Amino acid sequence: MSLEKPSRDTALDVGVTEDGLDYDALADLLGGHVLDREEHVNAEGFVIRPDEVQEVLSTLKEEAGFDHCACVTAQEYDDRYESIYHLRKFDDPTQELSIVVPSPKDDPHNESAARVYDTADWHEREAYDLVGIDYDDHPDLRRILLPETWQGHPLSQDYNQDQPQIVSLREHANPLEDDKRSEDDPDTMFVNIGPHHPATHGVLHVETVLDGEQIADLEPDIGYLHRCEEQMCQQGTYRHQIMPYPDRWDYISAGILNEWAYARAAEDLADIDVPEYAQVIRTMSAEMCRIASHELALATFALDVFGDFTAVFQYGIRDREIVQNLLEDLTGQRLMFNYLRLGGVAWDLPEPREEYFEKIRDFLDDLPHKLEEVHDLVTGNEIFQMRCVDTGVLSKEQVKQYGATGPVARGSGVDYDLRRDDPYGYYDELDWNVVTEEGGDNFSRVLVRLREVEESARIIEQCVDLLEQWPEDDREIQANVPRTLRPDPDKEIYRSVEGAKGELGIYIRSDGTDKPARFKIRSPCFSNLQTLPEMSQGEYIPDMIASLGSLDIVLGEVDR
Amino acid sequence: MIGILKSMATTMKHALDGETFTVEYPDVAPEVSPRFRGVHKWSQERCIWCRQCENVCPNNTIQIVMDEQRNGEQYNLHIGQCIYCRLCEEVCPTDAILLTQNFEFTADTKDEFAYDKEQLKNVPWYKDIDPLESREPDRGAWIGEGDGEVDYQ
Amino acid sequence: MQSAPLPETLANLLELDPNSTVVMIVLSLAGAGLIGTLMMTNTALAGPWAKRKITAAFTDRIAVDRIGPYGLFIIVADAVRLLSKELIVPEGVDRPAWDLAPLIIASTALLGFAVIPMGNGIHLADPEVGLAYVFAVASTTSIGLVMAGYASNNKYSFLGGLRAVAQNLAYEIPLILTGASVVIFAGSLQMSEIVAAQQQSLIGPLPSWYAFVNPFAFVLFMIANLAEVGRNPFDIPEAPTEIVAGYQTEYSSVYFVLIYLGEFIHIFLGGAIIATIFLGGPAGPVLPGIVWFLIKIWGVFLFTQWARSAVPRVRIDQLIEIGWKGMLVLSLANLLLTAVIVGVTV
Repeated sequence: MSLEKPSRDTALDVGVTEDGLDYDALADLLGGHVLDREEHVNAEGFVIRPDEVQEVLSTLKEEAGFDHCACVTAQEYDDRYESIYHLRKFDDPTQELSIVVPSPKDDPHNESAARVYDTADWHEREAYDLVGIDYDDHPDLRRILLPETWQGHPLSQDYNQDQPQIVSLREHANPLEDDKRSEDDPDTMFVNIGPHHPATHGVLHVETVLDGEQIADLEPDIGYLHRCEEQMCQQGTYRHQIMPYPDRWDYISAGILNEWAYARAAEDLADIDVPEYAQVIRTMSAEMCRIASHELALATFALDVFGDFTAVFQYGIRDREIVQNLLEDLTGQRLMFNYLRLGGVAWDLPEPREEYFEKIRDFLDDLPHKLEEVHDLVTGNEIFQMRCVDTGVLSKEQVKQYGATGPVARGSGVDYDLRRDDPYGYYDELDWNVVTEEGGDNFSRVLVRLREVEESARIIEQCVDLLEQWPEDDREIQANVPRTLRPDPDKEIYRSVEGAKGELGIYIRSDGTDKPARFKIRSPCFSNLQTLPEMSQGEYIPDMIASLGSLDIVLGEVDR
Repeated sequence: MIGILKSMATTMKHALDGETFTVEYPDVAPEVSPRFRGVHKWSQERCIWCRQCENVCPNNTIQIVMDEQRNGEQYNLHIGQCIYCRLCEEVCPTDAILLTQNFEFTADTKDEFAYDKEQLKNVPWYKDIDPLESREPDRGAWIGEGDGEVDYQ
Repeated sequence: MQSAPLPETLANLLELDPNSTVVMIVLSLAGAGLIGTLMMTNTALAGPWAKRKITAAFTDRIAVDRIGPYGLFIIVADAVRLLSKELIVPEGVDRPAWDLAPLIIASTALLGFAVIPMGNGIHLADPEVGLAYVFAVASTTSIGLVMAGYASNNKYSFLGGLRAVAQNLAYEIPLILTGASVVIFAGSLQMSEIVAAQQQSLIGPLPSWYAFVNPFAFVLFMIANLAEVGRNPFDIPEAPTEIVAGYQTEYSSVYFVLIYLGEFIHIFLGGAIIATIFLGGPAGPVLPGIVWFLIKIWGVFLFTQWARSAVPRVRIDQLIEIGWKGMLVLSLANLLLTAVIVGVTV
């Protein structure tokens, strides 16, 4: 069957058994490092000493094959700080393990994991910025989302939000004055690309040191669109108030995919079963979102490479418009859908159903022709190939080190798709393929997106068939969910879905109230963006712009 | 070279077929789905001042002021702050608040978007589409609001 | 059928003495004014209106259609809008150079039209070195671009200026070499001679336009011309998604209009050169010469817009590579081959 994984290397499978991970074996591997064990909903947590992080994580990575550090969650309890490293495997993401690192309240610090997983670099910077944990041996522990001058750590308990934030004039230094950032090479020039630049797709600031036209050094500076999404979710009730916000993380038509990330985490947390009929509708609408999102990704990438709002961009937008009309009929909005509910969806398919199915079928019938046109216009064009093949190359190892997921990982040949590897919804009942390309360059990433559109179309087609034949008396769209949801106290969960840009994960800790005590978003764009310096070192400015476009980041999701 | 020519042929085909996908708004009003969520319309006759909408609103857009006897005095809704999630309509037991299809609203300042009772009552339907019909057919009785009999009071 | 240059025609028309210097200076200025106005009218039509309509057609949109018939009055609206904007002078610009750059960019392109025969006697001057003169003025634009880039005190402008020089150097030489191959055919640099040489019939009704005689040179020239006027796929001196707007980043209001005008006049000048040396100048059946001439230069303009809709921008290093390793070699080969063929047959 198409959904089967290729066989994998068996040397790194400590504790792997037929029915899940054997955590005892893993605990034996770590021996005395494990101080305590915690029960999380879908992974066990090992509590370790704050000064043994690197040792434990390297052991797990080298000997047990946990090559994917999905997320780093930091939080403050009444008596301690805690960092949680959510580890999983690219080969089988259902094998999960949480490494819990407590650190003392008065002087919170623990060893950094950035030496083991490159991706932990930014994740730990975020934890430092928002929660205030110091990471020893971190290569570059600075604030990441908030300005350098920010006073206090907003997610810590003693944070005084009325405290005035004073930004000294020192920070407003004339950007024209100090041109040369590289001491040993006086010929370099420092250029701020962004935050207001035609090609940064929002408010991304890339600090670039140029050597002529080539990039000598580059550092993305993010946080311009930080909207405290995590905190907003912590102030909303599980049942209703959180759901409208995921639409606003990745706001480029990926709404339902994001909503599903929250729905999946919260449903698992509160043991809610979703009716099958609702799952099929979810699957269908989510794939429509993926098509819309990939269409836009292609359109904006073409914008970066073609250099103007030219034909490719407009055709991409035009095709996306049709999907948006379908989604508008179904959900009532074009971008901010707010369509999923815990335990189901808000609405059944619009009446008359036949007409709606007809519309979807028309769209699916036209799609191959439109993709053909895109291939004629874009991927077949020699100049386009000249620009994209072998530029912005990202190797398999780099992908894994940086925890890049989604089309970026699949474009580098990393066969990782949560829809298949960690099935949810109705995906495992349907017949479709995970698309991978081996190139790792900008061109491969474009191809992956284009072929994923085809696969999504296949999924939608099967869903439409299923929905059409669904018995009329069994169309249950919503499970019975209490009006106020209070999950058991101290339940912790990290759950992820395959969003438009990659693994979109949610960590929730409940404290017995109707609002989450900690709500952490693992944004795929955040991890993907970290690879930009690797991709564009030594390349030309246009290639850096193209790489940025092919990463398909949405700053709303990077900064949250 | 062939690829470039193919690309150019593709765009030329589009230029010559004369089809356009944009519409001449506002001369041609766009199609809006029956489920579309636009500006709110509120009915004083139906509202029972239960404050559920105010409670469920994710970003405190709805403000309700009541006197000591729990009689409603003010119902304010900032349509510029609203995120149009439709949760207020969903929790309302009497369909007193409803999101119309009307997406056309302008103002000179943001403050003008803070609608009070009267403004909310006077929000027009878009193209005379009553959203209730498309949502749950059995709730269609609300169209006669104003001149017919009033229930729930 | 050579007609006299415009000042002399005017002198004959007004029955003034064509040998008086004063009369000729006045009439030359009048003729220059006439041609300048004609080209500016074309540019005004192309910039705010035709370009929008053409791009819209390629991208399935409608574009301007509210003000006036087919939205034509947008030209007036745009002119008022652009001219009434505030002229922002950034701190630290190199003042005289910064002010001069837009003037140079706009005027050099206009100067080239002095020697272009547009048919119906609209031909300001006909020096013997006509073609050399056109190439010379057209490439003077690069000086304006460098001045704009360097004087703006902006790194993006600076990069844009450098790119403009690199690009013009790489493409000017193939352009002129290909033009020289036409000169070998015609045996003269004089524009009227080149046009006249294309009037015989090649095969049947097909005239001996050099585009038909030597299509290879024509294609080379078209490509080099795209680079010369900085349009896709060679619009890298501006490259909005890379270096914001290149050399024109810091210009606003009137200066912006001048640069914008200059670019369009430059496209038209490129079109005029192509029309003259490859497409028989104002020659064509039925319609008067000037109409044919305008049709030809608008054809070239349409081609640049068409290329823009479908061809991605190349990278700076690729551009230089294509220029020096591809175009230069090909144009040299073309020149040699033409010389040999002409030498053998004549």
